[in-house]
Amino acid sequence: MPHVMISSKKCTGCHMCELGCSAWHEGGFQPSRARLFADVNPTTAVIKGHSCLQTGCAKCQEACPNDAIVAREITVTPSGTFASKEKVGDSVTGIVLVVDEEKCNNCGDCYDVCPYGVIHEHPERKVAFKCDLCDGDPQCIAFCQNQYVLAVDLKVDKADRALTAKA
Amino acid sequence: MDFYKGHVLKIDMSTGTAEVEPLNMEWARLYVGGKGLMLRYLWDLTEPGMDPWSPENPLIVAPGPFAGTNVSTCSRVVLGGKSPANGTILDSYCGGSFGSVLKFAGYDLIIVQGCAAELTAVLIKDDKVSFVPAAKYAGMLTADIEAALRADFDPHMTSLSIGPAGEHKLPWACVSNDQYHKAGRGGTGALMGSKNLKAIAVAGTGRVTVGDARAFLEDIERIDTDYILTDSNYWVHEEGTPVLVDVTDGAGCQPTRNYSSGTFKGAGNINSEAFKKIRVKKRACYQCTLACRNFHRINDIEGEGPEYETIALCGSNVGVDDIAALMQFNHLCDEYGLDTISTGNVLGLAMDMTEKGIHDFGLHFGDIEAYLKIPEQLALRTGVGAELAMGSRALAAKYGHPELGMQVKGLEAPGYDPRGSFGMSIAYATSDRGACHMRSFPIGVEIVEGTMPADTLDESKAEFNVTFQNHYAFKFCGVWCDFWAIDYEQMGMLMKHLWKREVTEEEMTQVGERVWNLGRLFNLREGYSKADDVIPEAWLEKPFSDGVSAGKIIGTARFNEVLGQYYALRGWDEDGVPTEAKLTELGIDVRL
Repeated sequence: MPHVMISSKKCTGCHMCELGCSAWHEGGFQPSRARLFADVNPTTAVIKGHSCLQTGCAKCQEACPNDAIVAREITVTPSGTFASKEKVGDSVTGIVLVVDEEKCNNCGDCYDVCPYGVIHEHPERKVAFKCDLCDGDPQCIAFCQNQYVLAVDLKVDKADRALTAKA
Repeated sequence: MDFYKGHVLKIDMSTGTAEVEPLNMEWARLYVGGKGLMLRYLWDLTEPGMDPWSPENPLIVAPGPFAGTNVSTCSRVVLGGKSPANGTILDSYCGGSFGSVLKFAGYDLIIVQGCAAELTAVLIKDDKVSFVPAAKYAGMLTADIEAALRADFDPHMTSLSIGPAGEHKLPWACVSNDQYHKAGRGGTGALMGSKNLKAIAVAGTGRVTVGDARAFLEDIERIDTDYILTDSNYWVHEEGTPVLVDVTDGAGCQPTRNYSSGTFKGAGNINSEAFKKIRVKKRACYQCTLACRNFHRINDIEGEGPEYETIALCGSNVGVDDIAALMQFNHLCDEYGLDTISTGNVLGLAMDMTEKGIHDFGLHFGDIEAYLKIPEQLALRTGVGAELAMGSRALAAKYGHPELGMQVKGLEAPGYDPRGSFGMSIAYATSDRGACHMRSFPIGVEIVEGTMPADTLDESKAEFNVTFQNHYAFKFCGVWCDFWAIDYEQMGMLMKHLWKREVTEEEMTQVGERVWNLGRLFNLREGYSKADDVIPEAWLEKPFSDGVSAGKIIGTARFNEVLGQYYALRGWDEDGVPTEAKLTELGIDVRL
């Protein structure tokens, strides 16, 4: 199943992925509301990428008492180039986990279990918000454009634990 | 409001208070942001003849309108005021993340005035501003203060901080952001130190709007592909500035042993090829796709740099071709907070005077042991550093040899000797902050591209400098980085988003010219005149004896003639004063 991942080794710490993510979803550039992030230590320049593995992790879905994390079919066709393009092709169809805002009551159980810290309470809507792969054109991939870097990548997880998830 | 946040944060160190005032939108329209906006505020905030060391001298921190968006290179920020190093305008830039994060916190500009009774750190988290006693941070090196602020304040904050050099008010102390980004030239760190301000830390959770965000994203994705990530820009990622070593050395303009030669025998040991062998990673500034930052590792030192200017001034100019020593020296300058251009100049001067028998500073070209002690000695003003701290102009004058101090208007020269690139003579003489390669860069056409001859000086060079200065003055309002070779067409594509209409090259050029003239007015107001638009005599009259530029001289008469042509092209009178007609044409509302 498709998901995006930041290579901590390749990442240069430009935060363009966070900027693209937040602008696409939130109508303005606001990295505090990005759905993935690169944690950069300025002194050592050590970087750790944080992003949602979708069905490859699904801990949020398992933890949700309200079935508010729902599986939805998606076709991901990144507009830009990315490192795994030759391997996965131009387009990948699979399942993405999204928040059903009608069902979410902001209980916070998913916030506690997410191993990557990429699902949070939305400051205005008071529901959980997470990576939804931008309706199939992930902006994080679109803005990781430097051909010598290409740190944000489209990955496909074969061992899929949430294939049977309620769609 | 899109792009701008509409807020200026005014900090008074004397009272430990902060207030927010609305951004002057008329000035934002006329001066866009960054350098221009900083200068317009500076003019209003200062009385003529103000002592740059006085509490009234403002430290103005100004990002451009595109900071906090995903327009590449625009995280840059200008630190301005009146230079403590030489009394001209101070406008010094650094990359990193401060400009972007300041916008997320909700501000277009910070103005710091006054002086705290004790060493203080200012912490800004969105609309909350606090003043924290910084005694426990006193004397801390850059890495330590960065780490301490992250631990004590906010792990996601970014800061402008000074090292010991700033605390000791070394005239060329710099300010650091995210460890390796330095607002290097002109004494930004001394200005902070003079206010007892150890650091300004900022964390922001807000947003920068741009109108239709998704349409903006689509446009930027295209601009990045078509205009940034191109063959002509990729050198900054593949090579970085060390590539200039072979360029300047090959052209006979690499400062060597206090500018006594333009060619360095050991250049091959400290060029891009040499640094590539010890390169460990590439890093980027915030919101920049180019990722020009080179991290190197040798022995037990790993860190960013050195960049070309450091290699030239702290390498060839002091006779050092030992890459490990150069790495260590650069690291020490970073940690103590010293501008490497001025440091390498002063050190080269002291070595030159020692070897010429003028005065024995105990410093010799290529003497690594003494060399590696210098950054700490300068920063703490101990040992020989106590005297060298007066800077090139004063030091050379003190020992009766002003001709040996390679400086213009009191600012030490960067890594391009005009004897190998004649156009640089006018660039240095007319630069608004003293010897500087970032206002106009004839090296590009005279050496890199070879589209103009390097060994002639005529009106075409005066015209080139005028055009380039206007272009860069506008670019630094943007605030785009030098490493994006952005032209008016590309800037226009971005300005269209800002002004919500087509923006012509003429309009942008006029903003640049307006800014350049305002800077000139400020320097004139502060006592600079035509008499200061001069460069070291050696550059005009003393030819090199080796290298490809050997035997070539510009000549003082020729230089003065072209300087006059420059004034005329600028619409200035014979004394280099902007005419009333020019000021009116440019819509400048202040007068001497």
